[in-house]
Amino acid sequence: MLETAAGDFAWDSAASLAAAVAAGRVSATHIVEATLARIRERDPLLNSFTAVTERRALARARAIDEARTKGKKLPPLAGVPFGVKNLFDIAGLPTLAGSKINRDLPPAKRDAALIERLEAAGAILVGALNMGEYAYDFTGENIHDGPSRNPHDLDRMTGGSSGGSGSAVGGGLVPLALGSDTNGSIRVPSSLCGIFGLKPTYGRLTRARTFPFVASLDHVGPFARRTRDLALAYDAMQGFDADDPVCADRATEPVAPHLDKGIDGLRIAVAGGYFKGKTAEAVAAVDSVAAALGANRDIDIPQAERARSAAFIITASEGASLHLDRLRARARDYDPAVRDRLIAGAMAPASLVVKAQKFRRWYREEVLQLFAEVDAILAPATPCTAPLIGQQTFKLDDVELPVRANLGLYTQPISFIGLPVVAVPVPLAPLPIAVQIIAAPWREDVALRIAHALEAQGVVAAPRPAL
Amino acid sequence: MKRKAGRKTKSARARRPRPGRAAAKTRPENSIDALVAASAQSLGLALDPAWHGSIAFNLRLILRHAALVDEFALPDDAEPAPVFHA
Repeated sequence: MLETAAGDFAWDSAASLAAAVAAGRVSATHIVEATLARIRERDPLLNSFTAVTERRALARARAIDEARTKGKKLPPLAGVPFGVKNLFDIAGLPTLAGSKINRDLPPAKRDAALIERLEAAGAILVGALNMGEYAYDFTGENIHDGPSRNPHDLDRMTGGSSGGSGSAVGGGLVPLALGSDTNGSIRVPSSLCGIFGLKPTYGRLTRARTFPFVASLDHVGPFARRTRDLALAYDAMQGFDADDPVCADRATEPVAPHLDKGIDGLRIAVAGGYFKGKTAEAVAAVDSVAAALGANRDIDIPQAERARSAAFIITASEGASLHLDRLRARARDYDPAVRDRLIAGAMAPASLVVKAQKFRRWYREEVLQLFAEVDAILAPATPCTAPLIGQQTFKLDDVELPVRANLGLYTQPISFIGLPVVAVPVPLAPLPIAVQIIAAPWREDVALRIAHALEAQGVVAAPRPAL
Repeated sequence: MKRKAGRKTKSARARRPRPGRAAAKTRPENSIDALVAASAQSLGLALDPAWHGSIAFNLRLILRHAALVDEFALPDDAEPAPVFHA
């Protein structure tokens, strides 16, 4: 049902908007106009958008309304506005990837594959979203565009690097957004902004026509405020794409029709050891989710700390390799924090990087064995709730650590071997924090079913901010 | 025969040549600084001296993570994770 009391559709789900458009209760044009008005009004606070594709969005909305008037059956996301992290190509715009340097690139000639797929499902692109420079970031800060701001406290971080995606969805600007996740860049903003995020299995969703960061770790996926919206978007984006060399040649496996199956028969454990929460919030979030699911068994993910270290080295090295020419030519145009990490990465000995890749395969085999015993594993998404913008360090277990490198403490060992994860927000006060639901490769359905069951119980939910 | 993976034994680690010791009195700080300077030159990266400290800090961090991976014994036939499909 539409929550249209305020008439701005700010907190409606994608599914309810699409249903209302299909039934003729509201026009796609009306929804897009309201969305654009909301962006104009609220984005000066949130700083989540770097470009708004107004003309394109209105044209697309009119086409959908026309199709409905002609009696055509509308696709499942008809009239649903969405934004994309600005590393996705948008035809007619340079693909910034959060940088100053890319502003000099020619405009993209064609949309990223996932934009095309979402639009084929009726969704309407309304703009490009702020992000950490070249995705080497967990904070959501950006020295060129300013930081994206947390909708629950504008002085706090969104998390990154998909910070604008977290802010736009959590702040009620759009019901759906796309981001990328190399080491945690979907799951960290989901946690700090209190929304749902899906990092699918490595190779599940095509990355074609997105600006890369670490080829062997890069994933793309959706953000939403409801699990059904996450599933609808995910289903619309599945499928092989020869334009992404790592996109798996698998048939689509729709999840939305199976969301209501519940969790009967699923074996769910809590990650122990390395993943034990380091703050009261992280512990409380995992405990509440585990209790709701009756997950009373701990499981050890072997060598998780070493896995994080290996992910760290591969990221530094592959990221540096991608940027080497730009570092030679335009080092001064980078955010200094990103530049110095990339330069250091270029200096990492190759023998150690290869060793990290060898360890990666060993670790993968060990972790996959766990899924013979369990169907899903719970772990915190972030070590804490949103730090303040500009905060350099935080204390975890009484140890002072840099924020930038450690917000992904719990996400890195999981994406390292490409496992699918749904980040589910636990609406703690005053700030939310998420839990990772980790499943075996290609079992996004398991993670989404568990997330949906938790949402139905009211244990997880995207809290509405007082903006 | 496959060698079991796991943390290296003390004796295995002890057999490994220690570059720090071989370089006699070179302090680790100096060796990182030297590595930054030499790598920058060989990679064709023109560094502003003001960046040097931050790059050295980040390189030290990478090497600290690398050490954690390096000390984990893997069999000779361990395959790296990414596989190229022709």
